[in-house]
Amino acid sequence: MRTLLIGGGHSAYFAANSLREIDPQGKLIIIEFTSEKVDVLSKTFPYAEVIRQEIDGVEDYIRVNWNILDAVIAATESDSLNLRYCKVAKESTIPLAISIINNPLNSAIFRDEGIAHIINPYSLIPVELSEILGAGINVLFKSEKTRVLAISIKISNERLLLELMRELSRSRDASAIFVSPSGEITTSIEEASLGGIGYLIGSKERIGKFLRIARR
Amino acid sequence: MEISVIFPTKNREYHVKRAVRTAFKAKRVHEVIVVDGGSRDRTIELAKKEGAKVIVQSDLVYPGKGVAMRDGAYLARGDVLVYLDVDIKNMTPEFIEKLAEPVINGEAEFVKGCFERASGRVTELVAKPLLRMFYPELSRFKQPLSGEIAGLRKLFYKVEFERGWGVDVGLLIDLYKLGAKIAERDIGYKDHDMKPLHALTDMAYEVAGAILRRAIRDRKIDSQWAEEYLKEIGKVDLGLESGGGFV
Repeated sequence: MRTLLIGGGHSAYFAANSLREIDPQGKLIIIEFTSEKVDVLSKTFPYAEVIRQEIDGVEDYIRVNWNILDAVIAATESDSLNLRYCKVAKESTIPLAISIINNPLNSAIFRDEGIAHIINPYSLIPVELSEILGAGINVLFKSEKTRVLAISIKISNERLLLELMRELSRSRDASAIFVSPSGEITTSIEEASLGGIGYLIGSKERIGKFLRIARR
Repeated sequence: MEISVIFPTKNREYHVKRAVRTAFKAKRVHEVIVVDGGSRDRTIELAKKEGAKVIVQSDLVYPGKGVAMRDGAYLARGDVLVYLDVDIKNMTPEFIEKLAEPVINGEAEFVKGCFERASGRVTELVAKPLLRMFYPELSRFKQPLSGEIAGLRKLFYKVEFERGWGVDVGLLIDLYKLGAKIAERDIGYKDHDMKPLHALTDMAYEVAGAILRRAIRDRKIDSQWAEEYLKEIGKVDLGLESGGGFV
């Protein structure tokens, strides 16, 4: 895979490392705006081609090289630039236009502009906090691509346990494991106990139904 | 030459509709950009409805407008950028045309707007004295902190935007140092709410910080002396490690 990564900050650093692990043979091109950072990036990622470009020049680069790029990842410190570059990548029919956003409030704006792949680096904070603080409901993972959702639900009362039992028994698109208050793990809801936690994974629609039951 | 008009906003639902409509009526305006600072009211919704491009500023933690101005410049596609406060009650298309005119005509690359009313308190008590000390060539500007500015888009890409309230004076100094042709243009009377005195404290510190950082960078102050002396005063972030200034 040939990936163009734009930016030289924290997000780009983690993206470059991840790409190396996911696709060790892949070609990585990094674009940065300042020559100082280009030098640092060249030393940090010797397997990547690091290029310096002006802000407007990045768009020209994408347009010229569209036919050799499989993905563009916009990871600059400005969401305005990320939006611009993703839109150009999309217009240039590059298969994947991905943005690592700085401000989660921009997710909706990017989606409205047709950018489907948005990475919010802060999305783990509420998940981890909910897990540590023992929140009643926690959305652990959601995939826009496969429409899979994973959640945890604290089984706080008999009604909830019975409803989950009934719903799970007729679900073909969800499965679960349960952890008792003493830490025992089981895949059988019959063995689930009050005060324990259920981890459920399945289709967005089915898990959405479980969420509604738990929130009742 | 096409103009992009940029409005930094935060909770300005009562002003944004009129401001965007007015901006679109000005000659050569091909896009209006609203960079929002995390409004909790209908500012974003109304701006979109009026046809503005909308983005939320990349850094929400910082309350000042510098990040919003930078993000506006980065989203813009016009040859000339015009920045205006969204809550100017008597805004007309002529405001924008007057500001952009010297840039369109090639008389200037960067234009500071000034108004008939008296300058603000931070301008008179902080910005002007410091500019007279360190950048006397800029003391001719009646309102160096004016947020009503116009300039060539590519010029804004050559300087670093201060994150907060020091952004306007920072741009003035940095563009002057870059050798840009700078003009001041009187754009008439501005009907605008004045900030209460207590709200000006942070602004005054940030303006002072922006000027002093540049004075140190440009070797107008001995950096070691400044670091020791000004740290005693406190609060003014000298940014000596990060540098500040040009990109």
